[in-house]
Amino acid sequence: MPMILLDCDKDIPERQRHIYLKAPGESTKDFLPIANVATIPGTLSERGCAFCGAKLVIGGVVKDAIQMIHGPVGCAYDTWHTKRYPSDNGHVPLKYVWSTDMKESHIVFGGEKRLEQSINEAFDAMPHMKRMFLYTTCPTALIGDDVKAVSKKVMQERPDVDIFTVECPGFSGVSQSKGHHVLNIGWVDQKVGSVEPEIKSPYTINFIGDYNIQGDTQLLQTYWDRLGIQVIAHFTGNANYDELRSMHRAKLSVVNCARSAGYIANELKKRYGIPRLDIDTWGFNYMAEGIRKVCAFFGIEERGEALIAEEYAKWKPKLDWYKERLKGKKMAIWTGGPRLWHWTKSVEDDMGIEVVAMSSKFGHEEDFEKVVARGREGTYYIDDANELEFFEILENIKPDIIFTGPRVGELVKKLHIPYINGHAYHNGPYMGFQGFVNMARDIYNATHSPLLGLAATDIRRTAKAKLALKEVA
Amino acid sequence: MDARAEELFDYVQERCLWQFHSRSWDRQENIEGIITKGIELLQGKTPAADTPKDRCFLADARIMVADFRSGFPWIKDADAAEIQQVMEQLAQLLVDVTVTHSKNRELSHHLY
Repeated sequence: MPMILLDCDKDIPERQRHIYLKAPGESTKDFLPIANVATIPGTLSERGCAFCGAKLVIGGVVKDAIQMIHGPVGCAYDTWHTKRYPSDNGHVPLKYVWSTDMKESHIVFGGEKRLEQSINEAFDAMPHMKRMFLYTTCPTALIGDDVKAVSKKVMQERPDVDIFTVECPGFSGVSQSKGHHVLNIGWVDQKVGSVEPEIKSPYTINFIGDYNIQGDTQLLQTYWDRLGIQVIAHFTGNANYDELRSMHRAKLSVVNCARSAGYIANELKKRYGIPRLDIDTWGFNYMAEGIRKVCAFFGIEERGEALIAEEYAKWKPKLDWYKERLKGKKMAIWTGGPRLWHWTKSVEDDMGIEVVAMSSKFGHEEDFEKVVARGREGTYYIDDANELEFFEILENIKPDIIFTGPRVGELVKKLHIPYINGHAYHNGPYMGFQGFVNMARDIYNATHSPLLGLAATDIRRTAKAKLALKEVA
Repeated sequence: MDARAEELFDYVQERCLWQFHSRSWDRQENIEGIITKGIELLQGKTPAADTPKDRCFLADARIMVADFRSGFPWIKDADAAEIQQVMEQLAQLLVDVTVTHSKNRELSHHLY
């Protein structure tokens, strides 16, 4: 029976529909975990809220915009610099946080005046910043503050500023995925087409679904520069607000994270006729394939081959050194969704690692179609896993390394299993050729470090310690 | 079903993201467009690349065909009619699994 009911779930049997153990000869038309549905009451979900998906994942990455969060200060603090996206303008997204700091009285009497005051204060305090993302949160949405009207008033009074409103309170969806969706569609509805870019190359792309985690975007940008390809807009790694308004002028949308940003690529295809090309950017084989596809689109294949040859010569020997030492290691991936299908084959092909369990917080059924098609037989595929399920799965699969977030990472550390930050990385970037060597190095360091093994030893129980204790007694 | 079509299907399932785009019409369009270009390339023809959509299909098809040629030696010996037949069966298999019998409940939603 491939859909699995774990022992810890005997009191919530609905969880069986979310956990799949792939058996030989099965395809996604036989079994698919259900996903993107409300968390079952009683499970300890690891999901984030819809607001978090809009702010932390996408909007908050934009490097020249104030991120005004209309709500209690906790909503701002908890979505600030927990994901590491630097920028080439002094890391603005990591340095600053803005909030209207709503208190009880504002909830009772309304928060629009406070919002207007906060927007003006922020623009006055940072006069070089003329762009703003404005987010609602659960309390301000519940009391019905009209943030669009407030932003319109401010824009009339300050004609040099532009504000994008994101009405996506935490409760509006089952996970952070809803926030991705709302921001994508809102942006293409409200902002795309409102700025004309300067075209500097006959080869123009939007690079969609990459958030410059520890410099991913900046590393990939070196490839596009060498290929002579102009990136009209990065959605949204290291991006300017106004470059994102000019996405309609690219000739091709190259999509990495199809989960968080497939929506805008689809809308650009539908509204502006820009084709969507999905690629993988983690892994040597995948990255080379992605470059080949982009170059084939523009008819500049020889440039792509030259770049790939150069990068392979520089980085492949290093990757192979790690591959020799990582072969046969077992890995679990417990991240958001897309990294499951981006990574499962790339770590297997390029590093010799077997992925034995994968859990997605906010992936949709589309993501499970991809990962089940790519993943191994005998591997667990789990939607919205809870803490007890993690422990039971760990007992079953005994992985050598787990890629997950710091929250779950702290749990697994207590079991003396090494973890690597699968969301924000340990020592990235991880994309591209150099990036995958970084990833291999972090896995090597984690799996070969003696620290966790030593931590698992209770020194009071060693013979020497027993003797010493006896002498003291 | 030709066993060779199933071999190609296994490869495409594991490798190609275009079969898993968001909606059933996107998937059908991609499968039809890329397999058609793939057939032409395998038959030694020059596929049309007049529109952005054509060029995008062709970019995906080129990589797929290069991998077919290196991973499945029999394809070099297949004649045009055989290629047509095997590739059409591949397209049928893809539509069957990723569209017709897909368990993905978002495939037919009218909005993105």
